[in-house]
Amino acid sequence: MEPEEIITSGNLEMYVCGALPPEEALEIERAISAYPEVKREVELIEESLVHLAETVAPPLQAMTWTHILNSIRNLNNTNDSKVRSLNWPAITGWAAAIIFMGGIMWMLKQTNDLNDSLQVTTTENTILKEDKANAENQLVENNEILEVLRSKKYQSYTLPGNQAVAPEAFAKVYLNKTENVAYIDIKGLPTPPRGKVYQVWSLKMEPLTPTSVGLISSENKTSEGIYKFVNFPNPEAFGITLEPEGGSETPTLSQLYTLGMITI
Amino acid sequence: MEQPNDLILEMQNGSEKAFSSLYTMYSEAIYGIIYSIVLDENTAEELLQDVFIKVWNNAASYSINKGRFFTWLLNFARNTAIDETRSKAFKNSKKNLSTTNFVDILSPSDSLNKKTNAIGLKKFVDALKPACIKIIDLLYFKGFTQAEASKTLDIPLGTIKTRNRTCINDLRVMVLG
Repeated sequence: MEPEEIITSGNLEMYVCGALPPEEALEIERAISAYPEVKREVELIEESLVHLAETVAPPLQAMTWTHILNSIRNLNNTNDSKVRSLNWPAITGWAAAIIFMGGIMWMLKQTNDLNDSLQVTTTENTILKEDKANAENQLVENNEILEVLRSKKYQSYTLPGNQAVAPEAFAKVYLNKTENVAYIDIKGLPTPPRGKVYQVWSLKMEPLTPTSVGLISSENKTSEGIYKFVNFPNPEAFGITLEPEGGSETPTLSQLYTLGMITI
Repeated sequence: MEQPNDLILEMQNGSEKAFSSLYTMYSEAIYGIIYSIVLDENTAEELLQDVFIKVWNNAASYSINKGRFFTWLLNFARNTAIDETRSKAFKNSKKNLSTTNFVDILSPSDSLNKKTNAIGLKKFVDALKPACIKIIDLLYFKGFTQAEASKTLDIPLGTIKTRNRTCINDLRVMVLG
């Protein structure tokens, strides 16, 4: 077709309106490339139609372009950067594990604390039992002493201190003459120095004969500060001397602390 | 008006600046097309945004050797606007759109807001023959095919093309002198 024919056919107008079937549109495109006058004609038709549509348009808000720009930028952003999503199941799992571990630690600590507390209580119980046993023993001893003191079989004597050696010292003797049993209370004697021990002597006056009754030692201790002695000759007097450890054959008179007569 | 092929290529390569220039050139005409179909300014503005966002996202699908860029835009605009008129929400709010054509939109109060040449143009548009208004409305604003326009206007198929040419020629003489 000649350019003039194409121009007058009405196909160019249809082409710009987009109302032409594809195969006919292809022909027009070939003609546009081939003939500048056809191209020019298309441009003029388009310009007229653009003007017509512009006439119909209401005033356009300037913000419209801003909205478009924001939209295409947001689209680009969401395409570029992948949104980092939180892995909630994993977070929940880890949180549960940490809480579980914490719980186990706490329970272990509780168990340890309870064990410690149990051990302390057991120790305290043992101490209390011992204390109780001691107290019972003490009570038995004290009762025994009390029995002695209250008994008519026993006579009480005070051995005064030797003025030369220990004027303040004294000792008390509770003596059962018929059974030959004596309890000696040394509360009034000073604590013996290291390496020394008190020895109790039974004395006959005519002639003066000292016989060792025994040492003030834990062996014959009955109660605190009270010592029990048996099997000694009938005394006329009791004396207590300070002797080297183990005692002596004869009393060291320079260390005679107390001496007292036994009278009926 | 020569087609700005350089700008189109730049836009296809991702240039926002070129896209902005093309928007300035064509947005008002495209807005007019959309408005003539939906007849509501707010809806038309939203659809105009949609159309240009589609243009940006589908820029690669246009080829300079295959059709006019304006015709490509025109198809986007008309399809988007017609889809909108078929939506349930739109049907509930608007009635009897089919009886309106682009000339009905051109009320004097609207024209006051426009460029002086558009005001002048209105007079010419008003001077278009009623038959021309109908045929331009269907083929250009509403996107009818030849066959559809022939059926709607009850004019023989061969006559549609030549009458359309005559009408656009009248317009062209009025607009471009």
